[in-house]
Amino acid sequence: MDRLAISTERLTRSFGKLTAVEDVYLHVLAGQFFGFLGPNGAGKSTTIRMLTGLLAPTSGRIEILGLDLITNPVEVKRQIGVVPEGMALFGRLTGAEYLNFAGRMYGLDRDTAAKRTAELLDFMDLAGQPKKLVADYSHGMQKKLALAAAVIHGPKILFLDEPFEGVDAVASGTLKAMLQRMISRGATIFLTSHVLEIVERLCSHIGIIHQGRLVAQGSIEELRAGVQATNTEGSHGEKLTLEEIFLSIVGGERPDVEELSWLG
Amino acid sequence: MKSIVAGQFVAIAKMRWQLFVNSLLTIRGNVELIARIFIILFFAVGGLSAGVGLGAGAWYFTSHHEEFWLAALLWPVFLFWQLFPILATAFTENLDSSNLLRFPLRFRDYFAVRITYGLLDPASVLGSLWLLSIVAGIAIAKPALLLWSALVMIVFAMTNLVLNRMLFAWLERWLAQRRTREIFSVVFFLVLIGFQFVGPLLSRYGEKSRREIAGVSLQITVMQRVLPPGVAAWSISELSARRSLTALVALMLLFGYGLLFFLLLNARLRKEYRGESLSEADLPSNRSKITVQPAWFVPGLSPPSAASLEKELHYLSRSGPMFLTLVMPVFMLIIFRIGPTGRGGLLARAPQYALLAGAAYSLLILTNFVYNNLGAEGAGVQFLFGSPAHFREIVLGKNLAHMTIFVGEFVLLWAGVAVFYGIPSFAMTFATLCGILFAAPLNLAIGNLLSLYSPKKIDQATFGRQRASQTTVIISFAVQLTVFGLGALALYLGKTQGGLWLSAVVFLIYGVITLTLYMVVMDRIDGIALKRREDLVAELCRA
Repeated sequence: MDRLAISTERLTRSFGKLTAVEDVYLHVLAGQFFGFLGPNGAGKSTTIRMLTGLLAPTSGRIEILGLDLITNPVEVKRQIGVVPEGMALFGRLTGAEYLNFAGRMYGLDRDTAAKRTAELLDFMDLAGQPKKLVADYSHGMQKKLALAAAVIHGPKILFLDEPFEGVDAVASGTLKAMLQRMISRGATIFLTSHVLEIVERLCSHIGIIHQGRLVAQGSIEELRAGVQATNTEGSHGEKLTLEEIFLSIVGGERPDVEELSWLG
Repeated sequence: MKSIVAGQFVAIAKMRWQLFVNSLLTIRGNVELIARIFIILFFAVGGLSAGVGLGAGAWYFTSHHEEFWLAALLWPVFLFWQLFPILATAFTENLDSSNLLRFPLRFRDYFAVRITYGLLDPASVLGSLWLLSIVAGIAIAKPALLLWSALVMIVFAMTNLVLNRMLFAWLERWLAQRRTREIFSVVFFLVLIGFQFVGPLLSRYGEKSRREIAGVSLQITVMQRVLPPGVAAWSISELSARRSLTALVALMLLFGYGLLFFLLLNARLRKEYRGESLSEADLPSNRSKITVQPAWFVPGLSPPSAASLEKELHYLSRSGPMFLTLVMPVFMLIIFRIGPTGRGGLLARAPQYALLAGAAYSLLILTNFVYNNLGAEGAGVQFLFGSPAHFREIVLGKNLAHMTIFVGEFVLLWAGVAVFYGIPSFAMTFATLCGILFAAPLNLAIGNLLSLYSPKKIDQATFGRQRASQTTVIISFAVQLTVFGLGALALYLGKTQGGLWLSAVVFLIYGVITLTLYMVVMDRIDGIALKRREDLVAELCRA
């Protein structure tokens, strides 16, 4: 039987009267590359923040690698890596100082932290400007550095909130290479992204959240089959793309652009 | 175009108002408002009292036909206006220009916004109020001088305002980059070394006759007369003596100062407006394997605490404003040695307390960092919560970093006291160290709590814009009052009962209590941080 890497039961989070995430049952097996999709404001970031211990759920249960996150936060955090929204960088450190710091915070000894820092900087092509402060890095460089910090301790699960947002093709290639390498070595990756082409290419399994509720979960093939079974009119036997599956599930409709008549 | 500019100004004012209104939606926002009202009341009472004193002084000098002594009133106003915003950045509000430059703002409007933003800072409000009091005092004594003195004070106020903005803009520029920061440091230390000659010079003149001292005083009087406060007093004094032409010349000279500061500010802001980059990025080098130095080895500390300590010291070492803040105690030591007249200041009369006073002031300065020790983390606070480190380990690293700085500063202070006041006695050094053992844990304990309950995002790389939480300011004030009250009691007991050794013992007893408090807070810090994490992330990760 495959081992569950991430599992939630009735996971709910409210902010005052607004329920951002409601009764989410999520199951991600170890070794899966899981894409967590949803329109803006659907509850993706709230969910990822709860799964990584950055936000307390209002109710429900979270298990990471079989450990209850609420009762074993430190042990869970030791086994996961996170690139949250906003990247969690320290702008007034250099890249090497930041990675060294991250390594030590995850309990690595000084020599191992330094060695891995050098290797990661080299792999991410960030070694060229050793004295440059993180605040002066380009957006793509910051994304690469944030990912490097999240993997420095060799996590079993990696949580990534929009890792490809604002990243150019070259940096994106580096990020993808690293993620593929982790998957090939048995790690689990849980990512949110709006770039559906990338998700389709990388992820084996998908979860779709809409208005705080998990409305679909499974492999891409399962979701495709489900959509085609319920919506036979438009498909004509062609293989649906992830974008079409997504739009079909969340019911996205484009607004009438004629309303903005003043716009050129 | 005029209506667009007016619209932009209204939009900025509305945005500020809306931010204020929105802040009241939270409990913390309401607590902040109450704290701010208390602080305003405090400043109002202090400011009005000083205003009455200055007005009375102006009336006295004018009615005794000694208007040139008005300079003695204008100098404190001038120094307060220029130094208070630097010494107390918590009350200073500067605008981050990068927020404005993306909008279609003409340079002159950008300039106007930079001048007017923060016009309600304590320095500007109190400075203006005091000048008004001085005008009132002059007018009561000699009504004929009302219009002229009002005109002179308006020019003087504008000069102060522009100089204040100019100093901030240039200081920020100099402290933003390593090279200019180093030059600034060298110049600053040269000035400090220069002060070492003041002591021998004073003692040399002290042996001279009264006539010679009067000669030196006269030279100083002449020198101050050509600087803005002196020029302003000179102009009023000349008109009072019916020498209209020289009064006008003096006013023009004052105006000239204002214009000079205006042009210097204009040059700086124009560079900012054109999109200046103060990035310290080095040029790309050839890609090669790099070797990374291992993290610091700090015996006895867990890896997260050692990492936190190292990170904190890296941050602080790259903060120009922080550097300036930390050298202030030594500077103040010198000021208090010399005093306003050059004949010996407050501490010159009680040199045995110089070390204790200096240490207390250093600790006071350090509260800027201790009471908001997460403020500079920004989005990085998410990393702290996402890592498996216990929060108490992170906070311990920060506390140790602050104490490391304090110890360094204490050594510097001890040397400074030895040079300017004579070598401190062993008993006084010991009593001071015991006093630190009492005051430091208390400040650290309260600081750790306030850092979690009342955080405020700050940028250590910039000067100003570091407005602290008003709740923190008011609680910090109460803590310092307690520390000074208990400290005074210990010293009083020592003085009346059994000497400094008794004071040291009392300090040690206090120290046991505050150290216990510190440990209790540290024991609970993980739980508090966990409860407060959402508010912390919301405050520190906001753009």
